[in-house]
This record gives sequence, structure tokens and C-alpha cells, in this order.
Amino acid sequence: MIDQIIDIIGVLNIRVAIGLANVLGLITISAMVLTWAERKVAGHMQRRIAAKEVGPFGLIQPVADVIKLLGKEMLTPADVEKPLYYLGPILIFVPVLVSFVVIPFDARLQVMDVNVGILVILAFSSLSVLSILIAGWGSNNKYSLIGSIRSVAQNIAYEIPLLLSLLAVVFMSNSLSMKEIVEAQNDVWYVFKQPIAFLIFFIACVAETNRTPFDLPEGESELVAGYHTEYSGMRFALFFLAEYTSMLIVSAVATTLFLGGYKGPVLPGVVWFLGKTYFLVFLMLWFRWTFPRVRFDQLLNFSWKILMPLSFLNLIATGALLKL
Amino acid sequence: MGKRSFYLETKDPIIKFAMLEKVLDLARANSLWPLQFGLACCAIEMMSTAMARFDMDRFGAGIFRSTPRQADLMIVSGTVTKKMAPLLVTLYEQMPSPKWVLAMGNCAISGGPFVYEGQYNVVEGVDLLVPVDVYVPGCPPRPEGLLEGLMKLEEKITGTRRFPTPEKRW
Amino acid sequence: MLEKIRAELPELSISEVSYPERGYHLAMDAGREQILKVVGFFDKNGFYLEDLFCVDYVEYLELVYFFNNHCGLFRVKTVVRLEPDKPTAPTISDIYAIAHWYEREIHEFFGVYFENHPNLAYLFLHDGLDSYPLRKGTVKVPEEDRKLLGSGAYKESEDTFFVNLGPQHPSTHGVLRVVIKMDGEYILSAEPMLGYLHRMHEKMAENRNYAQFLPNPGRMDYLSALNFNLAYVETVEKISGIIVPERAQYIRTITCELNRISSHLLWLGAFLADLGGLTPFLYAFDDRENILDILEGVTGSRLTYSYFRFGGLFNDVDEKFADGTRAFLERMWKRLDIYDQLITKNVIFINRTKGVGILERDMVRKFGCSGPVIRGSGVPFDMRKLEPYAAYQHTDFEIPVAQNGDILDRYMIRVKEIETSLRIIGSALEKLPAGPFNAEKVPKKLKPPKGDVYHTVESPRGQLGVYLVSDGSETPHRMRWRVPSYSNLMTFPFLAQGVLIADAVAILGSLDLVIPEIDR
Repeated sequence: MIDQIIDIIGVLNIRVAIGLANVLGLITISAMVLTWAERKVAGHMQRRIAAKEVGPFGLIQPVADVIKLLGKEMLTPADVEKPLYYLGPILIFVPVLVSFVVIPFDARLQVMDVNVGILVILAFSSLSVLSILIAGWGSNNKYSLIGSIRSVAQNIAYEIPLLLSLLAVVFMSNSLSMKEIVEAQNDVWYVFKQPIAFLIFFIACVAETNRTPFDLPEGESELVAGYHTEYSGMRFALFFLAEYTSMLIVSAVATTLFLGGYKGPVLPGVVWFLGKTYFLVFLMLWFRWTFPRVRFDQLLNFSWKILMPLSFLNLIATGALLKL
Repeated sequence: MGKRSFYLETKDPIIKFAMLEKVLDLARANSLWPLQFGLACCAIEMMSTAMARFDMDRFGAGIFRSTPRQADLMIVSGTVTKKMAPLLVTLYEQMPSPKWVLAMGNCAISGGPFVYEGQYNVVEGVDLLVPVDVYVPGCPPRPEGLLEGLMKLEEKITGTRRFPTPEKRW
Repeated sequence: MLEKIRAELPELSISEVSYPERGYHLAMDAGREQILKVVGFFDKNGFYLEDLFCVDYVEYLELVYFFNNHCGLFRVKTVVRLEPDKPTAPTISDIYAIAHWYEREIHEFFGVYFENHPNLAYLFLHDGLDSYPLRKGTVKVPEEDRKLLGSGAYKESEDTFFVNLGPQHPSTHGVLRVVIKMDGEYILSAEPMLGYLHRMHEKMAENRNYAQFLPNPGRMDYLSALNFNLAYVETVEKISGIIVPERAQYIRTITCELNRISSHLLWLGAFLADLGGLTPFLYAFDDRENILDILEGVTGSRLTYSYFRFGGLFNDVDEKFADGTRAFLERMWKRLDIYDQLITKNVIFINRTKGVGILERDMVRKFGCSGPVIRGSGVPFDMRKLEPYAAYQHTDFEIPVAQNGDILDRYMIRVKEIETSLRIIGSALEKLPAGPFNAEKVPKKLKPPKGDVYHTVESPRGQLGVYLVSDGSETPHRMRWRVPSYSNLMTFPFLAQGVLIADAVAILGSLDLVIPEIDR
């Protein structure tokens, strides 16, 4: 049935437009549902039920949150750099959303199969570093600045192990296109062939999205709220949703690269893909409520002194083994 | 008065959408994000209310924000001294509208047990500084009391109560 | 010891005092010129400055110094008499570092000038007062002082900037503001600013009679309200000579230890919330709710108890209390495993806390710290063992002591103290005698005889002392509370130099401060 719908639509541009609209809508709703899921997971791990009164099982809670944030006064503090202040939230939300264009949800459910798919995703995720810096600097506030500088240092430090472990997969599958990487995992998933790379990639992903244990940039007990201290109303909602959307995208990329994407025996590919992605998202949520925060210099030490050499060695080993 | 949200301007807007107002009020009442503003003993009871036994997160009021820019509700829990008073007013003004203030405990309502002849350091009630919407008495009030205060605030915002008022037994 | 003092300081008048009645061993009278010599002598002999405050007898002022020893209990009270208008005294802040803050407090409350003091600015009060609060009459602040006291602007230079930690902040210490001068991520200096919760307890003590003051100690430190209640009630009983029956002593011990466990549990949760792990906070509060249920059934309140009365208790405990406590003990022994697995074996936690914030023994003595802070640095000083009060001498327990003095040690000591408290409660509950719970014939309006008395109690944060001066009337003449968090906090500017701000927050959390007791 999915094939028939896709054949009907046919023309590339219309298909891309419809796909993009769907992806945008679905991922935004998905991010909202993730906020509910975070509170529920947190609650059940903490021996309580969170979000029960607002709708059945609290499912309307994210709707209430978003409507409230829409109706809030959008303050602009005096002395902020207006262009940067206004640009920050948009720049942080849109690139993450757009990088869903190249993720294959199923064998034929992909908005556009670019043959350098991974590069597209990496390019857009590097934009998020810039956007955090813009948001922090434009706020004209000491805490925002410290938070955003920490975040930039952390993101830059963890991009390298991310890249190197990703390259191992690219070596093995011989292409940069997301769909072909999934197809190359037909017999066995890459997580079994490259366990170290998966571990490093996942840790680097948690650090890239600024989640605990690496959430110093929004370290609540030290700085007030990090780089989004001065944002209120809908601008803050964009930051809020951007964090959950970036969790989704990195889990989707990890699923595609290591866990076999949409491959799976009985159920349709979409169900497998979403199941694996949400499992990884659940892992990230689990981490948040279990671990304390890592200190800043320990964080950078961990990345530069442990993760990077490990991933480098992994890459060399992969290359050597493939040649032989 | 009554069920309108607390706007700083006093004129009515020109165009009124009744349905939209109702939806907005419902959304605001179900998603009140408090500001972390614990001053003294009542702060511990506020934390108890947010914890596993008397979960405040059920009603949507669970995420305590540490920056006033993202908070709606300021729960003043504890004594306000004259040294602290300017900071409280600054924090209140930094919160974007619509915003509400809940005075928790006897100290925030009227100075509490620290008012005596010739006292020099306690502000006798936080409503001398900022407009207060709900008063929750007690020294410290029980967590159920704070939850009832939250219900009353929701009633003030939307006009209807989520749970029926418990009947008076004496 | 007495002979040594007599030998070295022959010109002072020294009198021996009965320790069980008055709470100190020696009383010395020094003049303004001799006080530096006296203080130097005590410093050389390993004493620490326990307390320094001022009492206003209307014709003269008295500066009272209390010295004590960590190795064995020997409390010496030294008194310097000053004249009431423009009193001056030499500063001892270069000998004992903690005196810097004590003297600032005395200056703003009494108007005593200290010569050569580095910075005599306001500590607790704000800039709007025009008379010294704790003086008996109205003594106006001179004009030139009012301009001086509000000073303290911060000069920002090229590389450094100032960051405010608080007074509204997500940690649960209370309203503490620390002004941190930072160079990038490293701290150059940290200065605590107090007084945001100054609720005038010491002035209220002079305006209320003894029974009316009973709710106040609970508000001073709301997390261990029963320990503060115990300190106050035992002080008044000491000065009036009221004997408390056995059953009341045991019940006081049991409830104080329950309160200690609940205070340590809250500290555990708050400390980990500072570090970033939010879940143990909820588990700790869950356990704490059990304790609160037990205590609520007996005292009637959840947080700020006023359960003790002069001569005994408010009401007796029943079987429900005993059963509930036993059930709680069983449950808590198993719950300690959860904390062990979740926190103590967590690599990230150990990396954050090992080797950080090391407090050396000499610094402990210079600041007069107490409590788990010094037991973590190897000083086995616990008032429950050294001078047992209530029913502690009938229970057997060991005090945990660690050697390194870093944050991990202080954490381990507090966890072990929870276990110690569980043992004390268990053994006291078995031996609970029957009998009256209140002394007979305690007058409704208590009028203790004239004199002064000092009493110490071990609160969860350290050594808590009450100094009571009674002039024979219904209201105290002066009541001074020596709180443990004050001296513990003052080590923070020294511990926080050159560390990252994340470490500074962890150090502040590990000192277990409750600001309302500092601000009183």
C-alpha cells in the first residue's frame, strides 16, 4: 500500500515537499511527546506518577505546555544584541529538524536519498554549535555566556570521536548514503561488528545533545540555566523542543548506522525503525536520571585523552582488517 | 477579578475570543511552572510537595525553573527580610506575564512568628512588595495545604475546580 | 593545664568553675591590653576559638571569648570589659582566622570597634539601620560609620569577572550569596554574603520569656529542630537546676537521633542534586517521609518541632511510636544498600569528589570547625562521646572518623553516621524505662537564678552551643547561639581558591550548611 501511494505521487519535487511537511509535522509532534515521555520516565524511576491529571495518562500535558508557552509574554531584555538574540532559537531548531530529510524510515520512505547523506547530517549538526554560541552571546548575560562557551568547547571536543567512529562504518559499507548503509547491514548489524565504535558514537551523541552526564552548559545548580537563561515564551519553547529533536536525530542516525535501520523480520520496517530509535532515546532518558554531572575538565579529558585515541585505533584496525 | 488571568494592563483588549481565552486559561492552569525560590523552612515543605509522596508534577506544576524568565508562578516560601526584599521585587519583575504569586507560610503572609515590638528586619508580609494571588497559611503548611493552594490558584485562573472542595467537618 | 596557665599569665585573675553547673572549666578576666597575649598563648597550646561575642550589661560591655580543645574538653571563658561609649578592642583575626567574621558581627550589632581589622563592613544587616540592634538602649550609629559600612564595590578588571552564586539558586542551602571572582573557569576568590534571612532570634530572646521562646530554636535550623530544642531546653534546665526523669532522657535521645537521620538524608539528596544526579533526592525524601510520619504522631508537626519542655517532654510516646520506629529501623537498614549501589559505587561521583576540597587539621583548628567536617579530617571530636548528654552514655556506638578530609570522606562519614544513629535508636529503644515523662513542680513562669551558663550539643552539622545570661527575671538577659555552620562556612573562601566552579559548588554542598542558623 505504501508503494502505491508513492507511485501515485511520483514527481520528485512534490514528493520532497510532501515528505518534508510530513517529517516536520511528525517530528515536532514527536518531540512534544518526548517531553511527556521524559516526565513519565523520570516519575516512574523516582517512584511517583508524573503527569496524571491532565488528560488520560497525562497525554495532553505537552499540549498544555506548548499552548502556555505560546501565550506567554515574549520579553526582550534591554541591552541584548537584537539580531543575535532573535536568531538564536530559530537557528537552533531548524537545522536539526531539516536533517531528518535524509533519514530512511523505511525502504521507500525517505524524503530524499542524497548520496552524501551522512555529510548532510554532520553539516547541520555543526550548525547547532554556532547557534548555541549566538544564543549565549546575544543574551548579554554572564551565565549565558559561560554556558554557551562550555557548550561550544564540549561539542567541538566530542565531534571528533563521533566522526571517527562514524568513519569506521563508512569504511565498512563503502558509501556515505544513509540508505546504502542500511542495505549493507542486511546480514548482520554493524553493532556486532563494531561494538567499540557504537559505544563511542553513543557517548559522543549524548555529549553532543548536552544531556546528563554531560549537561554542564545547562548545569542547573551552578549556572542558573545556561545559554537559555534569558529566553522566555515561545523562544524558550524552541530551545526546549530543539533538545528533544536533537535527541531524536542522533538516535535515528545511530539506529541507521549501527542497529540496522529499518531491517527486521516480521513487522514493517517503519515499526522496527521507530522501535530502535525510541529504545535509544529511552536509554538517553535513563542516563539523565541516574548519573550525576561530570566536571568540565574531566569531560574534556575524557574526550581528548580516551575517546579520541580509541576511536582512531578502531578506525585504523577497521581499515587494516578490511584490506586483508 | 475572578477568572481572568493576571494582566498588568487594566484595559480590556479590543477583540475578545471567548473560546481562545478559555483554552489559554486552561493551558496556563495546567502547566504552572514554579520558580525555585525557597527562602526558609517552608522551602523544605515545598520540596516535599514536589517529591514522590505528594507529587506536584501530576498537576503539571512539576518543572521548577531556575531562571525567572521561564517561570509562571513564584511560590514565596519563607521569611522575607529587608535585605532580601529588593531582590524579590527584581525577580518578580523579571518574570514575564502572565504570572502569579503564592504566599506560602505565615512569614510570607504577614511576617509570621517573627513580628514583635521593635522588630527591625522582617518585611511583614510579601504582599507589601508584590501582588499576591493565593495565601497558604501554616508554619509550615502541610504539603496537602500547598496542593490545595495550587487548586485554588487553578480555580482563580480558569473558574472551575479540578477536584471538589473537601466538605467542612466542623 | 591550670598550672600552665597560671604560670604563663600570672597577672590575670583566674577562677575555677564547677563544670557540670556552668558548662566551662575556667573563667578569666583580661584587660584590653592583655587579650592579645592570652589569645596567643591559647593558640600556641592547641586551643581553638569556640565562640566570640559581646554581652551588654548597661554600665559596661563584655567581650566574651570561649576557647576549647579538640584533644580533650577544657573550656576557658575569657572576658574583656569595655566601656559603653566608643568601645574598642584589638582584633585577633590574624591569630584565629574565624575571628574576622565574629568581630564583624559584634561591630554591627554592638558598635565595638576593632583596631587593625582588615574589613569592618556589614555582615548580616542591611544599610538602613541607624542604631545598633542588640544594645539594650538605643545607641545610634555615628554618621561616618554609616558611609563606611555600605562600601564594597567590585572592581572588574580585564581578565576577571564577578559571578553571583545565589541568593536565589537551585541548591537547597538557603539564601546564601557567594560573590565569586573568576578568571575563566577558575575561582580567584569567593566571599560569602550573609544576612538574607536574619530573623532576629537573639533579640527576640531578650523580649520573650523562657517558655515563649520555645518555638524559635526549631526555626533556626529547621532540619534538625529537635537538636536545637534540646540545646535550649537543657541549657535552661542546667541554669535552673531541673532534673529530667530517665524516660524523658531516652525519648529525647531517640527523637533527636531520628531527626539526625532525616537531616542527613536531606543533605544526601541535596548534595547529589548539586552534583547533578536528581534521583537520589527523591529516594531520600521517601525515607524521610517515614521518619516524619513517626515524629508527627508524637509531636504534631512535620518539620519545626517544639516537642521538649523544661523538665521533660510535651507528651508521652505510646506503643505506636515504638512499633513504627522498629519498622523504620528494619526498613532503613535495607535501604542503605540502594544508596550504596546508586551513589557510592558510581564512577562519576567518585571522580567528582575524591581529592577535592581537602581540609587540613591546622585549618580545622584555626576556624573552629566541628561536626562531620572535622571528623572527615581525622579529628574524633563528637560531643555525644566526649560529654554525653541526654541518654547517650547508656547507648553504645562508635563515631566514624576518616583521614583524608576530602569531599568523599565527609560523604562517607555522614552515611556512616546514619548507621550509627540507627544503632543508637535500636539500643535506646530496647532500654526504654517506664516512669514519668515530666519533672514535677516546674514553675510556669521560669525565673532562673542569676548567672551564666554554656551548654553544648552535637547537632547534625557540628557542635552547637548556647550561652545564657540570666538576671533573675522571666526573660533572658542575653542568649547567644554558637552555630556550627558559621565556622564551617568560613573555611569556604580558603577551600575554594583556584578550583573550578563545579568543585566549589560541590565543596559548598559537602559542608552541609543551613543558612538560617548562620543568620539566626
